[in-house]
Amino acid sequence: MESQSISISGSGRVSGGEYTQVRISGSGRVEGDVVAQEIRVSGAARFQGTVKAKEISVSGAGKFTDRVEADVLVTSGSCGIEGDAEAKELRSSGAQRIGGSFRGHYVRVSGVLHVARDMETDVFTSSGKFEIGGLLSADRVEIKLVGDSRAREIGGENIDIRASSGFSFGFSLTRGFRMGVGIGTLTVGEIEGDNVHLEATTADVVRGKIVHIGPGCRIGRVEYAESLDVHPEAEVREKVKR
Amino acid sequence: MDEDLIAKKDVLEEAGISYGQLYRWKRKGLIPEAWFIRKATVTGQETFFPRDKILPRIEQIRSLKEEQSLDELVQILAPEAAPETVKHDDPAALSPIGTEGRKLLWKERGYTFGELVALACGTHALRSGTRPAEAKLLVDLVRTEETVLRTPTGMTALLGEKAFEQEGFSVRLTLGVLGHEPLKVDRESRVKHRVDLEKIAEQVKLALREVT
Repeated sequence: MESQSISISGSGRVSGGEYTQVRISGSGRVEGDVVAQEIRVSGAARFQGTVKAKEISVSGAGKFTDRVEADVLVTSGSCGIEGDAEAKELRSSGAQRIGGSFRGHYVRVSGVLHVARDMETDVFTSSGKFEIGGLLSADRVEIKLVGDSRAREIGGENIDIRASSGFSFGFSLTRGFRMGVGIGTLTVGEIEGDNVHLEATTADVVRGKIVHIGPGCRIGRVEYAESLDVHPEAEVREKVKR
Repeated sequence: MDEDLIAKKDVLEEAGISYGQLYRWKRKGLIPEAWFIRKATVTGQETFFPRDKILPRIEQIRSLKEEQSLDELVQILAPEAAPETVKHDDPAALSPIGTEGRKLLWKERGYTFGELVALACGTHALRSGTRPAEAKLLVDLVRTEETVLRTPTGMTALLGEKAFEQEGFSVRLTLGVLGHEPLKVDRESRVKHRVDLEKIAEQVKLALREVT
């Protein structure tokens, strides 16, 4: 089927359907479900209906009122998805907000990410700030903390959380906290993984096989199967070997 | 809850699997969301699983994983991925149905997945001594609700029976019920037969795999 492209550069409104390319650089509204090869938003766009595309990039302001499915979803502006989202690859250097759950393979956050429910992916890397209302699950979780991030639960194979480079340059972490110098923190209810390395993390429970609790951590209870080491500048209230 | 539950860490230990595997299988949909039961314990929140579901499932995943990729396993094991496009011609060849079960719903060919599950429910009842007419009732009940098979909601189908005397005649009424556990019947009735739809659907999927 021959499908067409649309481009809105002033202000406009189109109905959903099947398109090759959708470009919105002015202010536009798409009403109805959309299937497209490529969607580019550099202005302000509002999609009312489900959206399915190979590639979606939002460098302006994009709002999606329903479910979004893409191979690649790139956000450098502000992107709000009110439903669930599924993307093989999500790269967000802007502000990404998902009202439901996210499923995918590869996620890279360098801006701000907000997911109301679960975030499930194979790889999750962040050097930004995130807030996940449910479970963050990945084979590889690599987080470099800037700002204060939160998740209800984190689970997977390798979980590696590092404080930002600030105190590897030798100033005391506790002081850093007191002065509020740009050191990120992570607050989580529960962390479960096979290899767990934590820094600057506050958690109720950490369970793992090989667990390393680094500086700045405050952990209620650690349950480990093989080994546990705790940095002198960390606080662990209870340690249990299984 | 009177179900026998097992804590997540005990699952790992008993089955000899890692957190990585458990979370990966959950992400793939091989372990249904509904099986993760969060409960408050003395040490805080913990996750539990229904023991009679999680342990066999891990065993299945492990024994099938040798030959099949995780994505193929999803097709076999994950209820929500139930093949709606299945058209199977010979239910008698499937062990949960067999020749006796096929008679409960006769078609020349082209049984859908839902019909196969319905037949397996009926056969399950037949094999434990329920009369064919009642087993048929169960088949009809499940067959009309094909959509419930695609969501891992843990539904149950049951046959309830009520017997009463009226003017010297003894009357027995059989009723088919579909719903979520715990399902209860009144004190004067009894549950004649109960089937776990999820379990039956799994058996059918495995049987389908075996014959192809």
